[in-house]
Amino acid sequence: MLIPHPLLGLRDAQEFTYLGDASLLNRPDAASGDASNAFNDYVFLRDNPAGLHRELWYHEQGDRSWLIVTRNTVTHEVLGAELARDYILKAELPA
Amino acid sequence: MTDLAAITALGESAPFRAEIGALTLIENSNLALASLSVPRGQNVPMIFEMTLPEVGQWQAGADISAFWTAPNQWIIEGHNRANEDFAELVKRAAPDCCVTEQTDGWVAFDIFSNDGSKPIADLLEKLVNIDVNALKTGTAVRTGLHHMSVYLIRRRDEQITIVGMRSLAGALCHALETAAMRLR
Amino acid sequence: MTRLSGGLIDHSAPVQFSFNGRPYTGCKGDTLASALLANGVQLVGRSFKYHRPRGVLSAGSEEPNALVTLHDGARKEPNTRATVTELYDGLVARSQNHVGPLNRDFMAVNDLLAPFFAAGFYYKTFMWPRAFWEKLYEPLIRQAAGLGRLSLEPDPDAYDKGFLHCDLLVVGGGAAGLVAALVAGRAGAQVILADEDFQWGGRLLAESHHLDEAPAAEWVGKVIAELSGLGNVRIMPRTTVFGAYDHGIHGAVERVSDHLPNAKGMVRQTLWRITAKRTVLAAGATERHIPFENNDRPGIMLAGAMRAYANRWAAAPTRSQSDPVAVFANNDDGHRTALDLLAKGIPVSAVIDPRTDAKRLGDYELITGVVDGTKGRLGVTAIRVTQNGSSHWMPCGALGVAGGWNPNVHLSSHHKSRPIWDANLLAFVPGKDLPAGMVVAGAAVGQMTTAKALRSGMDAALDSLAGLGITAKPIDLPRAEDTAVTQSAFWHVAGKGRAWVDFQNDVTVKDIALAHKENMRPVEHLKRWTTLGMATDQGKTSNISALAVMAELTGKTLPETGTTVFRPPYTGVSLSVLGGGDTGSHFRPTRFTPAHSWSAQNGATFIEVGAWLRAQYFVRPGESHWRQSVDREVLAVRGNVGLCDVTTLGKIDVQGVDAAEFLNRVYCNMMGSLAVGRVRYGLMLREDGHAYDDGTCARLAETHFVVTTTTANAALVYRNMEFARQCLWPELDVHLISTTDAWAQIAVAGPKSRELLSRIVDDFDLSNEAFPFMACAELTVCKGLRARLFRISFSGELAYEIAVPARFGNALMERLMQRGVDLGVTAYGTEALGVMRIEKGHAAGAELNGQTTAQMLSLGRMVSQKKDSIGAVMSRREGLELDKRRLVGFRPSNPAEVIAPGSHLFAAGTERTMQSDQGWITSAAYSPHVGSSIGLGFLEEGDVRLGEVVIAANPLEGREVRVEVVSPHFVDPDGDRLRD
Repeated sequence: MLIPHPLLGLRDAQEFTYLGDASLLNRPDAASGDASNAFNDYVFLRDNPAGLHRELWYHEQGDRSWLIVTRNTVTHEVLGAELARDYILKAELPA
Repeated sequence: MTDLAAITALGESAPFRAEIGALTLIENSNLALASLSVPRGQNVPMIFEMTLPEVGQWQAGADISAFWTAPNQWIIEGHNRANEDFAELVKRAAPDCCVTEQTDGWVAFDIFSNDGSKPIADLLEKLVNIDVNALKTGTAVRTGLHHMSVYLIRRRDEQITIVGMRSLAGALCHALETAAMRLR
Repeated sequence: MTRLSGGLIDHSAPVQFSFNGRPYTGCKGDTLASALLANGVQLVGRSFKYHRPRGVLSAGSEEPNALVTLHDGARKEPNTRATVTELYDGLVARSQNHVGPLNRDFMAVNDLLAPFFAAGFYYKTFMWPRAFWEKLYEPLIRQAAGLGRLSLEPDPDAYDKGFLHCDLLVVGGGAAGLVAALVAGRAGAQVILADEDFQWGGRLLAESHHLDEAPAAEWVGKVIAELSGLGNVRIMPRTTVFGAYDHGIHGAVERVSDHLPNAKGMVRQTLWRITAKRTVLAAGATERHIPFENNDRPGIMLAGAMRAYANRWAAAPTRSQSDPVAVFANNDDGHRTALDLLAKGIPVSAVIDPRTDAKRLGDYELITGVVDGTKGRLGVTAIRVTQNGSSHWMPCGALGVAGGWNPNVHLSSHHKSRPIWDANLLAFVPGKDLPAGMVVAGAAVGQMTTAKALRSGMDAALDSLAGLGITAKPIDLPRAEDTAVTQSAFWHVAGKGRAWVDFQNDVTVKDIALAHKENMRPVEHLKRWTTLGMATDQGKTSNISALAVMAELTGKTLPETGTTVFRPPYTGVSLSVLGGGDTGSHFRPTRFTPAHSWSAQNGATFIEVGAWLRAQYFVRPGESHWRQSVDREVLAVRGNVGLCDVTTLGKIDVQGVDAAEFLNRVYCNMMGSLAVGRVRYGLMLREDGHAYDDGTCARLAETHFVVTTTTANAALVYRNMEFARQCLWPELDVHLISTTDAWAQIAVAGPKSRELLSRIVDDFDLSNEAFPFMACAELTVCKGLRARLFRISFSGELAYEIAVPARFGNALMERLMQRGVDLGVTAYGTEALGVMRIEKGHAAGAELNGQTTAQMLSLGRMVSQKKDSIGAVMSRREGLELDKRRLVGFRPSNPAEVIAPGSHLFAAGTERTMQSDQGWITSAAYSPHVGSSIGLGFLEEGDVRLGEVVIAANPLEGREVRVEVVSPHFVDPDGDRLRD
């Protein structure tokens, strides 16, 4: 597969390490009252869709960026990729 | 100067050198390296009057050059300065930046062609999954080579520098030498 | 000899080769198959199951029969298709799968036992008794059935790999492929043109057609000359594109030197990974045969292959040139074979065609009827022709069979795209949802005439380039043959005898009928029940015939019956070339430590630790057993001072104003409160609460830390820290970079370590007051060499780790050894390191195995309650809190006994069952300090059971040892030595 790195263009998937569902970005707040249940879900529960999937890839043999890649798990079509860091910082900006 | 004797990454007293067909492979043991990254909220500084290169680029310079390694991170190269405390020098030039000594973390092989760029392209296509046509002078990329991580720095059409991890110098040297010999 | 004149071989360049030990002569340009045919050799092998005599069926890579073993000794290569083996001087080939000479195979008795070998016979016959399968049936079957045999020696040849990138990959160098490459090449696109053949032109070379007014080969030559002159086109003959993978990535094997007589030292084959933005698949078509009784005799060949042998290779298909040839065709294309053979002076006895409307196209006899029998044990001598219900035997020396052509859709279906039935063509053509970027052209997409193939190649290239935004111009196509295609739905000749469908796996029409009777009707079941299409040729010549027979039996249409999709590889790929050529010590890269040279010169035995080679122990004169060396090293460290190269531990430089906060979050214990100039032990948890790595964290400055990891987890910890930095807390200002290789790090351990170090530091106060336990500093040593010093201990002794730039590591080791002679300085390896950490009760990989928690390691209090860190919340979950197993030490009650790591722990008097299992021994070693075997392990409530005797059971070896539960700290439990 080829991963469309947002900075470096198409790069072979062999340069990357795959982690999985991008829900791992949503780490629960340890201080919340329901932290233990929230962490249980965070660590153990994943969607495994046949179709579009947002997932984390690490450019280990490249620039060490963590990417969020949107991929169709049925066809392997990759619809896009963005830097995880940019995505989170953007999400945290006040609307 | 210390009275301890340095050895090369290949464990020798003199750097590796081999002429194979149109290619010359030379271990550059005098290359000083230091990584530099810029703290949040600060502007990317000029270093030694040099603008740091854009994504995927190498910025040439006579004595000092630099290549992009990651978002907000570069490696500064000091040519013929391996015996100096190069990281300290860089830190002084960019006091607000995070600087880490890298000189001994790597082995650098300069590969020269005496027959234009083709021998270099032929060599690279046996080694790395990078479109050689896109690896023009002034580009720097990191990729895999025989299960190792390397930086490729295209310094000129007829020259490329391959920078690999120092502990893997022997394996990298073997891979380069074997690939070069097979081109003959 | 049946060598004809003309063709594309070089009659003036004879090539010597041998087959089954007999010398033969061929010509440059021959394949092994064409050279054998030119020498009148029809019998080339025996079939897989029945040991039937077999000859060449095809003229290409679809060949099911002519499988031979090439070369001798370690280079022996079985199951090579003679039809694609380029002939060279000195080639040695042998036939396969026979006992005794090829013409009198003693295993041919299998043919008489055929009724027992019907479809599904493995499943039916060898089911019972079960134990017989491995011991009796399988060895027997393996002996009786099969293909060639391996040399069982290591492959001595060199293989290579490489990576190519292009705008357009053209698969196939026939009419369509050549035009596609030419259009794209002239447009300036980066083009790769690959073909499995060694000559360009594909089917054009096999036919007698002209392009414009000249033989097709002339046009091919001109195109190749032009393409070769274009800098943007790479032409790759002898290159099989065997698979289409995701996103335009293709696998290809180039046979670099297989065709050269003296290729010693050269790369034999290269595996290419080709990344193409667009692909034109122009793989041509494969002719199908027509099953009829005894249709598998040598001399019975595909009619198109006969033309190829006559036109391209100047070889007649018969044993003698005067033998007549007959053709059995269900379409006009087969008649061409008669025409071409006649033109070459080969007598044609008749064309037999079942179509009542078939026309005679030349000067030969046309019989409206079928061939339904043959004679000739080792080669066909006569055929039975049935016409209007009456039969007669017609002598012939070879029979061409023309059943129509199937597009080579293979690569187009590598992404699950199902081929679709073309009712006009009566063949499957590429379906929808092709691999992204692929366009199919020429005969592969059912454009069966030369004119249509040329046009289709051009259109495919123009389409592909337009998609890339590259403007290309149409080219002037040569005038070419464009006669109507007349494929007919005549699939097989009914009859009582065996009619072969799949030659390589010996599957007959009867087998398919049996599968139908036994309800193995879906095409996937049919395949597995009969093994149809599952041989090395993947059923290229047989699949459609089989489907047609099944369709007839079920009364369904052929598309309703279905087709199987194809998977890579298109043709067989050797494991050697997939391996890429890095074998032996270069199988994977080896990492060397900075003091490797010194260690090698001083008796070190090395051990692989991940990719690293580390000194395991140093053998001194007089030592004959490793334990002697290790015990000496341990005692030297505990008594004097020892040196160990510990560079392999991962080192990560952490900087930034938020570095302290960041480390607080990745370590379970407090790190932010660490003072500058101090080191702290740190434990990292996975988010699920289990421990996964430990190490030290040194604070060199307010915003500068150096973190160490275990050797094994260096890359993983770095990856996880980048995850934390970029994905969890990107708002923190933290900067990470690995410095593992940059610093040579040497452990200096033992009561005399301070004294030794004091001899190399430049003006640095090493006193306990100035530089206490867990201190760190940047300093210089050996007259000005910058260094880092950490007062940390893995052995439990007064100890330091000193780091210098890696290139000085070897010299530093040497210097410390020189300067410490009077102190008894001793180099030690990983074994002694391991013994001493067990003696000290430090956890390592065996204790941090992914199933253990900080609590179990008796480090539960380290998990800070004051802050959040990775794994902190989950480490407090009930299931983990309830786990009362604790890390403790063990000593055998009888000091002579040995504790085996992995042993499970049981209270005395309990059963050895899962229910009563109380833990396990993680690590064990002989302790020269204690004077017996010792162990570490996790035991239920171990921390409150000190003094109790439990059983360490090792059921694998049937051994049990009574062990006393003790503190895990066998030396210096209060840590006085560390702080001395």
